[in-house]
Amino acid sequence: MSQVDQKNFEELCAGYVLDSLTESDKELFLQLLEQSSTQQKVFFEEMKGVASELALLYPAQAPDETLKQTLIRRVWSTIQRSNVKYLTRYRYSLAAAVLFLISTVGLGFYSQNLTDKMTSSSRELAKYETVIERLGDELSQKEELLTILEARDVDLVMMNGLEVNPGGYGKVVWDKDNDRALLQVSNLPAAPSDKDYQLWLIVNNQPISAGVFSISEPVSNSFFKVDELSHDLGSGAFAITMEPKGGVPQPTGDMYLLGS
Amino acid sequence: MLYIFISAVGRLLTQNNSRDRDIMRRIAAQEPDALEELYDHYNRLLFGILVSILHKKEESEDMLQEVFTNIWERADQFDPSRGTPYTWIVSLTRNKAIDRLRSKVYKEQQKQSINLDDEDVYNPLFSNENNPLENTILSDRAERVYKALGQLSEKQRSVIQVAYFGGLTQSEISEKYDIPLGTVKTRMRDGMLKLKELLAQEDE
Repeated sequence: MSQVDQKNFEELCAGYVLDSLTESDKELFLQLLEQSSTQQKVFFEEMKGVASELALLYPAQAPDETLKQTLIRRVWSTIQRSNVKYLTRYRYSLAAAVLFLISTVGLGFYSQNLTDKMTSSSRELAKYETVIERLGDELSQKEELLTILEARDVDLVMMNGLEVNPGGYGKVVWDKDNDRALLQVSNLPAAPSDKDYQLWLIVNNQPISAGVFSISEPVSNSFFKVDELSHDLGSGAFAITMEPKGGVPQPTGDMYLLGS
Repeated sequence: MLYIFISAVGRLLTQNNSRDRDIMRRIAAQEPDALEELYDHYNRLLFGILVSILHKKEESEDMLQEVFTNIWERADQFDPSRGTPYTWIVSLTRNKAIDRLRSKVYKEQQKQSINLDDEDVYNPLFSNENNPLENTILSDRAERVYKALGQLSEKQRSVIQVAYFGGLTQSEISEKYDIPLGTVKTRMRDGMLKLKELLAQEDE
């Protein structure tokens, strides 16, 4: 800054601290001050200090006694207002906290409810999967049975109910070419839990076990596939007896169906 | 003896500054007791400034309330690194009074109501006699300023007096006393520089 500029700054500074600048000069000085060096800023603060010392030469006067009380009362009222504001803020915070708590509990319940529903849905799903699996098994079984019926050459053996269960009947469709057969039984009572029905092929008065099956519920018609029923066994009669669970080598129980 | 006196004044000034800073810090922390304390220290000085500038007691009382309310509300804006609380408070008071004095509304009111015989009109003049300051420290400081002013040239002292105590702008001084504006500015600058130097010497 040149000497002229510095002098100009100092003149404006002196006028400013004495409150003696016009509005335009005041604006100019404030602009200069903003761009001034640290040294000039220090100078400005010092000049302000000098000017304020002049205030000591004003004749001191005592204001009205009540002024202080009015002022302090006013100040205290602002404090109380601030406290009220603080309390209001506190209330808002509390309300927010309560709302948050309620929301959290609500969401907890909602989440638990959803979990229960999901568990229930999973169970339902598992049940339906079991049904689908069972139906799938039944379907494949039926398809297997159909393949037996589709065979070109089959023997059909009709069986009738005996004294134990005269209303029962059944038939065996024997696909000798493939050594397998289809068994259909009707009106047989449900076997007790420790019992099974056993199919016998009787050749030359000798019973040969052809398989064990179970009927847990009395149904009009039940179909079973009989595997490994060799055509070498020759022709004979078929019988169904009720035997201990899993079957026995020789028939021991009551005969329910018989036919040849 | 003179050295002891000056040292004592210097120490007391430092103590005052430190005390005032503490008060300002407490006011910024919204402690009403601190404002009360500050009021007790400065009410007479600040009211004297206001009455001297505004020439109306009632108006000055209203403004004194306004000044202290401002201090209460703006104490956190006080920056100790930029000056003393005393300078800040006095500047705030004077600025408010000068702004009021120069406002059009106030000028109009003054025209209609001022009467030199009116008891409510004050005509403060720079003098040591009518300067009953509120405590010894302020009184000692005033004495120093008074002496320093006395060491300025008459021309320098008069522009400073008219500007500071009369509330006239440099342009108004130039017009009223028929002095070129540049001369007014130079006298004001030189006078203030001299005053700064003299007061600094006193502090040493």
